Amino acid sequence: MIRVVWRQQRAQLITMLAVFVVGAAALLAVRASMVSYLDGHALGNCVAIGIRADGGCGNDVVQSFQDIWFDRMKVGQLFVLALPVLVGLFGGAPLFARELEQGTHVLAFTQSVSRIRWMSSKIAVAAAPALVVVVALQLLVEWWVGAAGKIGPLASGPYFYATFGTSGLAPVAYTLFAFSLGMFVGAASRRTLVAMTVTLAVTVVLRYALSSLQKFLVSAQRIVSDDPSVSKVEPGSLTVFGGYLDANGNVVPNANSAVMNCGSKGDAPVTDTATCYRDHGLVKWFADVVPAEAAGTVHLVEAAIYLGLAVVLVLATGWAVRRQA
Amino acid sequence: MSTPALCAAGLSKHFGRVRALDDCTFDLPEGRVIALVGPNGAGKSTLLSLASGLIRPTAGSISVHGTPVRGRMHPDVAYLAQNRPLYPDFTVREVIQAVGAMNERWSQPRVEEVLDMLAGVDRDAKVRALSAGARTQVAIALALGRLPKVLLLDEPLSDLDPLARDETLRIVMTEVADRGTTVLMSSHLLSDLSEVCDHLLLVVEGQVRLNGDVEDVLAEHRVLVGPRDDESAVSGVVVSASRAERQATLLVRGADPVPAGWVADRPDLESLVVGYLRAARERAAARR
Repeated sequence: MIRVVWRQQRAQLITMLAVFVVGAAALLAVRASMVSYLDGHALGNCVAIGIRADGGCGNDVVQSFQDIWFDRMKVGQLFVLALPVLVGLFGGAPLFARELEQGTHVLAFTQSVSRIRWMSSKIAVAAAPALVVVVALQLLVEWWVGAAGKIGPLASGPYFYATFGTSGLAPVAYTLFAFSLGMFVGAASRRTLVAMTVTLAVTVVLRYALSSLQKFLVSAQRIVSDDPSVSKVEPGSLTVFGGYLDANGNVVPNANSAVMNCGSKGDAPVTDTATCYRDHGLVKWFADVVPAEAAGTVHLVEAAIYLGLAVVLVLATGWAVRRQA
Repeated sequence: MSTPALCAAGLSKHFGRVRALDDCTFDLPEGRVIALVGPNGAGKSTLLSLASGLIRPTAGSISVHGTPVRGRMHPDVAYLAQNRPLYPDFTVREVIQAVGAMNERWSQPRVEEVLDMLAGVDRDAKVRALSAGARTQVAIALALGRLPKVLLLDEPLSDLDPLARDETLRIVMTEVADRGTTVLMSSHLLSDLSEVCDHLLLVVEGQVRLNGDVEDVLAEHRVLVGPRDDESAVSGVVVSASRAERQATLLVRGADPVPAGWVADRPDLESLVVGYLRAARERAAARR
């Protein structure tokens, strides 16, 4: 059965292999080129410590590197972001829809192989190589971006959209979701074009919606600064909510007016901002944040949502295939 | 009596509000070549799809040699679908390998034998490049490779030129002679059917009108020609009638004895089926 299905999907699998070979070769070449730039300009130290004037890694030195390489790395990340959608469109959507359109599913349905076995063989042969390709390209891009260290996109922290969507479990989860969505809509609608359109629209909308809800996926930690005029947000973390606390530790509902009162007024600058804040009832500064270290958990929660949806869609595909005539 | 090859009990299939088949109960005997006839949309393809397990009945059941068919192909059945589904970008050889891999009981020599019949089929040709006749031959070869006891053929002769039609029937008849296979074959080509079929299943508007040995069914019917003003003298059930100014020609079931003044003739299969089809169309027209 696997051999039959492999022969049926041979053209797509060869196309995918070609995309992989070209993509991987390009990534290896571009990374080698960037590494030689870093070496040539003695930026090895800056990769480790980031933009810091005292280490000889001032803005000017790093800037010329970023002018050339930052957008290129972002394009590489966007390529990995796009891969799951492509797998859904060209792997998942036509998987059953094309056979149902052409009526060739009847050939398999009128032999002794069960529909479930036919279906699972098709899914395995289409999905497994796609996943391998996505993960391989993800790792190559991560390896490339990693070479730029703290002067590349990684400096923006793990929640930077292009970094988050191309690291950890994210590409696998997005791919499985997009693939099963395309597969289900194709099996239910029996139309490849409908399946492709719906997959594109739903995947993009859901990805956008879930990434805007990203900071609510795990519970935030409250960090408090005893000096109300100093914020202590770590770079790379996500701020969910922030403000000031009163003497009893309650959130001050309308802190803006107090903050305005402590701003500079004409010629008389406020010298002790902290005291001024306290005088206006703002005793402590606080923020509810998702720290950079929690990125792994955020990845897990997000992946669980996508994988859960994928499981539901696979079951729904089984139902749709069973009721096909 | 041996168990029937195919047995339907209260078999119904509704597509939304359309009743493709409605409460059909019948037995089909083993080892016969059965003509499945009826007007377009009478439910012939639906019946064959139900028998192959391709679709599930809305109500009732259908069984093959005593085993109910439900949601999957019965191991003893082979089905030739009307559109001859074959993977278009496979070669003939690859299609045969593929279908062989999807079956537990499979006879490669039987497939080769059928493909070598007639003009023979080029095994390295792509399926999409085959003529309609060659496609049908490949599809029948694949069906016979399953070594079926019951062979379901949905319009096996459509799209074929007269020579290919003749040859296709020859393949089917060879199968029947060699292996005693029961064949249920739908077709509109009544003259071709009458040469090979010995049993008739007539379906009209989702219901079985006639089911029996062709000879018995023909013996039951009479074509009567007589005076138009004396139709009340005719006993039996008038299936259909065509009336000229003075003379009426009636297809009658069970018209014994023949009344005086009428000439009786035995119908042939074609005129019998046409009579039933015409009556069905007139009833449908009268309802509108």
